[in-house]
Amino acid sequence: MEKTILIGGKAGQGTAVTSHFIGKVFCALGYYVFNYRDYPSLIRGGHNFNVLRISDKPVYSHKDKYDIILAFDQKTINLHQKNLKREGFILGDKTLKTKRLQKIDIQPILSKLKAPKIIENDILIGWLFKYFGVDKNFLLKEAEKVFKGKKTGLIKKAIEKGYSLAPKKERLKRVGSKKYFISGSQGIGIGALNSGIDIYIAYPMTPATPVLHFLAGKQLKDNILVLQLENEISVINSALGASFAGAKTMVGTSGGGFALMTEAMSLASISELPLVVYLAQRTGPATGVPTYTAQSDLKFAVNAGHGEFPRIVVAPGDSQEAILRTQEAFYLSLKYRTLAIIIGDKHVAESDYSFDTLKVSPLTNQKFILKNPPKNYKSYKITKNGVSPRAVPGQEPVIRATSYGHNEYGNTIEDAKWTIKMNDKRFKKVRYLEKEISKLNPVSIYGKGKNLIIAWGSTKGAILDSLPELKSFRFLQVSYISPFPKKVIENEIKKSKRVVLVENNATGLLGDIIAEKTGFIIKEKILKYDARPFVSDYIINKVKKKK
Amino acid sequence: MKSQYFGTKEENTWCPGCPNFGILQAFKNALADLVNEKKIKAKNIVIASGIGCHAKIFDYLNVNGFYGLHGRVLPLCFGMKVSNPELTVIGFGGDGDTYAEGISHFVHNCRYNADITMLVHNNKVFALTTGQATPTSEKGFVGRSTPLGVKDKPLNPIASAIVNGATFVARGSALNTNHLKELIREAIKHKGFSFIDILQPCLTFNNFSPYLQKHIYKLDKNHKVTDFRQAFRKSMEWDYSFKEKDKIPIGIFYKIKKPTFGEQWPQLKKSWYKVKRKINFKKTVEEFK
Ligand SMILES: Cc1ncc(C[n+]2csc(CCOP(=O)(O)OP(=O)(O)O)c2C)c(N)n1
Repeated sequence: MEKTILIGGKAGQGTAVTSHFIGKVFCALGYYVFNYRDYPSLIRGGHNFNVLRISDKPVYSHKDKYDIILAFDQKTINLHQKNLKREGFILGDKTLKTKRLQKIDIQPILSKLKAPKIIENDILIGWLFKYFGVDKNFLLKEAEKVFKGKKTGLIKKAIEKGYSLAPKKERLKRVGSKKYFISGSQGIGIGALNSGIDIYIAYPMTPATPVLHFLAGKQLKDNILVLQLENEISVINSALGASFAGAKTMVGTSGGGFALMTEAMSLASISELPLVVYLAQRTGPATGVPTYTAQSDLKFAVNAGHGEFPRIVVAPGDSQEAILRTQEAFYLSLKYRTLAIIIGDKHVAESDYSFDTLKVSPLTNQKFILKNPPKNYKSYKITKNGVSPRAVPGQEPVIRATSYGHNEYGNTIEDAKWTIKMNDKRFKKVRYLEKEISKLNPVSIYGKGKNLIIAWGSTKGAILDSLPELKSFRFLQVSYISPFPKKVIENEIKKSKRVVLVENNATGLLGDIIAEKTGFIIKEKILKYDARPFVSDYIINKVKKKK
Repeated sequence: MKSQYFGTKEENTWCPGCPNFGILQAFKNALADLVNEKKIKAKNIVIASGIGCHAKIFDYLNVNGFYGLHGRVLPLCFGMKVSNPELTVIGFGGDGDTYAEGISHFVHNCRYNADITMLVHNNKVFALTTGQATPTSEKGFVGRSTPLGVKDKPLNPIASAIVNGATFVARGSALNTNHLKELIREAIKHKGFSFIDILQPCLTFNNFSPYLQKHIYKLDKNHKVTDFRQAFRKSMEWDYSFKEKDKIPIGIFYKIKKPTFGEQWPQLKKSWYKVKRKINFKKTVEEFK
């Protein structure tokens, strides 16, 4: 069984909520669901749509051919009808104009229920699930859970009404255990909570904002502090102050905000304070196409900041990975007193993925702060692995952090000897980081073919979903960009016949990094920079065509 | 405890005779007093500094500290305070640091009213970068980057702080160290955002010492520090220009009680590094099933 449903309407008409709810019900029935969100940067009007792909086998991406279109307005039909499958239909109010419409006379129902326009969605939902042959009580129970307290009574009535109007065409049964349904942003938030985060600081910027909202909603229950400050410069400097004083701290932003933070990333490095930065990419440059996706900040993340310094850059490819990678980012950042950047994008952040189970990282959730620092404590003690044991102000000895060249005590120096020593100290950590990261699946290989697709981040879903059609291909997903898992990647490239790079940007940034680190230049690239994510058919076609 | 306790053996690279020495001494004396009076604990003192001549104070003070970036002293202070409410947080900035690069942080930290103290070494010039105009340089100031003279009026930090919600606003002079020490003591004791603009003539690039000594006076006891209008009027008495007839009041302009940032957040009771967390992954992901 597989269905793709497009749900479209004006901003403010509830397409996202409707789509999420339908997805949730299918997850409750044991189906796998992927939910894609597409919306322009405006609050009311315009055109928003969601694409839900539902299957009894795991799916990680959406498709651009639809079985059903749920239309809240005419524009949805005008824009998407061409992608409706031959046997498909459109569901909506009787006033909509199209030959393929399953009409519902919505106005009289709303009047009778004394319901606002938005309740139309629930009538359509009721209709749809009857069509699929899903048990009504099951549906109503899910509605109660999802719409807790928000006009639940009315919503249920509308669903029942819609249900009564539809024909029962299919008999979709429970196909397995309930699935988790979770977005990448929620994955980042959950990963942070499971790392023992104390403070999250941010300034609103799409598509990082959902993490701010998610954690802000948890702060009392989970006893964390979530702050919105005056700008990103303040955000990251405050975060470093907080980290210095011992809090587990994370900040989140998108490209423009990340640009403002780069000076303080240098500071994080020389002061050797742990800090996790979540960078949710959107389409640039500058304001660009702000609510859409791209993978164009990779080299920016890897190079952000002035001066040379090591950092951790990790790129989750879906929401389960978002949980694990966020935990790893915290763990490594704290253990090595090194900046960690989690690079995601709008596509991972705002898509919902389904899973049978959610995994948590086994890395222990430590603070890496000395219990009783000695009297002769040195803030920047030179050690074998470059990591100085960390103490925080308030513990007896004097604790120092600094943006200046410094000696082991953190006192300012400008001489050549100490400049070299401290630089070497910071870079010593890389070897140890590399070893540690090699145990964290820095690259994942899917499939067995002799040819290779290489990609990172959010393209994972569409590539996984295209693999069954590309039997001669393996897929190498790179999750750690820094330190770069050079050896494995080199080996995989060497033993492959054809190597294809797939990236959501115009120049192939991972390809550049691979070239820089391994000397191997990937010539065959499938690049997409229309601000939209890949779908599997697109990749399949491109790969087959190029042959 | 003697004030020497707070000194270090680091070589001092301020110009000979720099009024920054006066600020350093006043600060060490104020700390010693407060520790002796058990108002604060030495181990909980933490300073932050920006970048500039003023910021070198970081190396001359034997306390916890964070030598940050140019203009970013206040975010550092704010972050340290919300991270650990037990800390006594004091920021050192320059006028370039605070009123040019860091002006947004200054305005917003006045609003936030976190319990931190901000001391600005105001020499009305960028000193460490060798003598350019800052936002508090007077109209007509000829610096190395402004040979034609500054064309705009100086910013009035005292008035700004009062208007933006700081709950302790004072002006001090680096040449009156005893008076300055008292101001710093009061500022640190005050619960909320305390701000002192410290006039600190730069002997090399902007020596307004003679003018300062001639025109300065101490606010008298009749000045009602809790009266917003009176405080604001006083703040306008000197507009940071060197006019013949002006008088420069020093002392506390404004001091009121208002809930601090920390007091208004139920989570901000404990130092985060001491918080023990029990994390139940199953429970945290329950809502997604
Ligand atoms: C972002 C940034 N811009 C510029 C500088 C260069 N810089 C170093 S010190 C300084 C001026 C300091 O002036 P002020 O804050 O008034 O302190 P003073 O030296 O007068 O004590 C500047 C602009 C810098 N370090 N960082």
